[in-house]
Amino acid sequence: MAENSIIDWDKLSLIHPPVMGRQDLRDVKKAIDGTFRDFTRANGEWIESIFDPLKWFLLWLEDLFLATPWPLFMLAAGGLAYLGSRSWKLAVGTMAALLLIGWFDMWEDTMTTLAMVSVATILCIVIGIPIGIWMSRSDRVQAMIVPVLDLMQTIPAFVYLIPVVMLLGIGKAPALLAVLVYAIPPIVRLTNLGIRLVDKEVLEAADAFGSSSRERLLQVQMPLALPNIFAGVNQTIMMALGMVVIAAMIGGSGLGTPVLRAISNQYLALGVFNGLAIVSIAIVFDRVSQAYGKRLQKHREGGHGV
Amino acid sequence: MQMKLFSAAVLAGAVASSAAFAECGDVQMAEWNWASGELMANVDAFILENGYGCSVELVPGATTTTFASMNEKGQPQVAGELWINAVREPLFKAFDEGRLHSAVAGPITELGEGWWVTPAFKEAHPDLDTVLKILDHPEMFPDSEDPSKGAFIGCPAGWGCQLANANLFRAFDMEAKGWKLVDPGSAAGLDGSMAKAAERGENWLGYYWAPTALIGKYGMQLVDFGVPFAGAENWDGCIVKPEQECADPQPTSWTKSEVHTVITDDFAKSGGVAVDYLKKRIFPGPIMNAMLVYMADEQAGGADAAVEFLRLHGDLWKTWVSEDAAAKIEAAL
Repeated sequence: MAENSIIDWDKLSLIHPPVMGRQDLRDVKKAIDGTFRDFTRANGEWIESIFDPLKWFLLWLEDLFLATPWPLFMLAAGGLAYLGSRSWKLAVGTMAALLLIGWFDMWEDTMTTLAMVSVATILCIVIGIPIGIWMSRSDRVQAMIVPVLDLMQTIPAFVYLIPVVMLLGIGKAPALLAVLVYAIPPIVRLTNLGIRLVDKEVLEAADAFGSSSRERLLQVQMPLALPNIFAGVNQTIMMALGMVVIAAMIGGSGLGTPVLRAISNQYLALGVFNGLAIVSIAIVFDRVSQAYGKRLQKHREGGHGV
Repeated sequence: MQMKLFSAAVLAGAVASSAAFAECGDVQMAEWNWASGELMANVDAFILENGYGCSVELVPGATTTTFASMNEKGQPQVAGELWINAVREPLFKAFDEGRLHSAVAGPITELGEGWWVTPAFKEAHPDLDTVLKILDHPEMFPDSEDPSKGAFIGCPAGWGCQLANANLFRAFDMEAKGWKLVDPGSAAGLDGSMAKAAERGENWLGYYWAPTALIGKYGMQLVDFGVPFAGAENWDGCIVKPEQECADPQPTSWTKSEVHTVITDDFAKSGGVAVDYLKKRIFPGPIMNAMLVYMADEQAGGADAAVEFLRLHGDLWKTWVSEDAAAKIEAAL
């Protein structure tokens, strides 16, 4: 009787809330699993092929990073850091961090991780900003998307690893997808927020000058929202780096793999070295993008004559 | 699980003063993170708690970490299904020094590790019946990231079997034959890649072990290596070592798997009836496989499956325990 019922009356008591009958609960779980299995069988191949271009781009970028002579790579990294932050200290620090990473024999893994994070960030920007803009224009859309973003950020990554692997197998593509799920929400949220925070007076002025809604978006709202959007990019990069170890669990390789090896073998030093390599990359990205964001802010304040 | 802890706490409280409790006491048992280990740990826990009045705490863990803890700290006290290949040398050292003991060698019969293919592959290519023959056809197992190479799915980073697979990869000269050693990253990655291949009818060559639900569920086929076992010296002195300590690995079939129920010295002395039970407790392979398929089909956890096992196979487990204990266990069911 307890096996087949909407509520298992045997278990119901003051200290135990109503629970579904065991058999029913099992059937629900099995039905969900069965549906997903049929879905992957029917659709797995074309979904996989959607990710192919991304996978090839990621592999190409990784090969490019690995094939670049290291002094050139360091100069380029230092140069980009300087361009972003206009700080010699940061540029030199970036190069020093890379030198240390190479010295501790983590260069290849770091390049793999950098390629993964770069592609993930580009994708997040390309997908996330339009969604953010769409959200900012309609309260209804915002009400629909916010819960989805909440779900993406809080659901434990382990929960979606198996479905992702069943769909895409193991390797770069599923790892990239796992990173995307986690890293996209900040940029969507902050794009939405940035545009919504633009002063009503400024928008009224734009309307008064007869700007079309397209001009209003591209020439007024977006530029004024840029500092916020940039904070979103910064957060997205940090999230992507945080997912490096999880991504390694489904064949993403990079700095996460030695961390996993260290965990299961209690190799303290190996774990700490690779962990610190992830941290140092994160700090470089964070400081450079924040400095860049601040410069954008200055420009904005200047434009207003404040 | 919470219910289980709760009931364990009640039980401990209820029988704290009884003779049965004094005889057995607190037992910490390793609960492995794979299904057969989970089932065995829960069967042991149920029998010891209900039949002998022990207070059992299940400690989740993986082979190398749990072994290290048992060896250094004496806790947990019981490892039901310890696959010793990953920890062979330190384990035998601990046996010699008397810190650990083997309660039973082979608590599950008919088990093993090796390289597996999908049943569809075996049916389509009956001529490719050994690893040596399959290795000449990397084009049948294209890697998703580099289709010009064949993908061999090895063992997740950090597992004991990772070194053995990497060294066998070198021993069989697989790189030159056009193969790539793929690190699946985790158990989820390994399971998922095999399940995906079996579901979609793709070819798959990789490492796995039995008894497992996935092997039973998809009917995966163990492939003969096509070479004899090349001696313990090659295996223990090279294949299971890190690459830098294994300069010249020889092709070999997989070593015969040994699984022991390992207990700490303290527990061997103080465990009493619990130790006697562990010594007799041997699961026949087919029964274990059937239980694993049940667990997968019904999505049963270790605790549920243990109850199912005890209900179904009374004639088996009653040979493991005393008549008195059997009656108590029966009553608890």
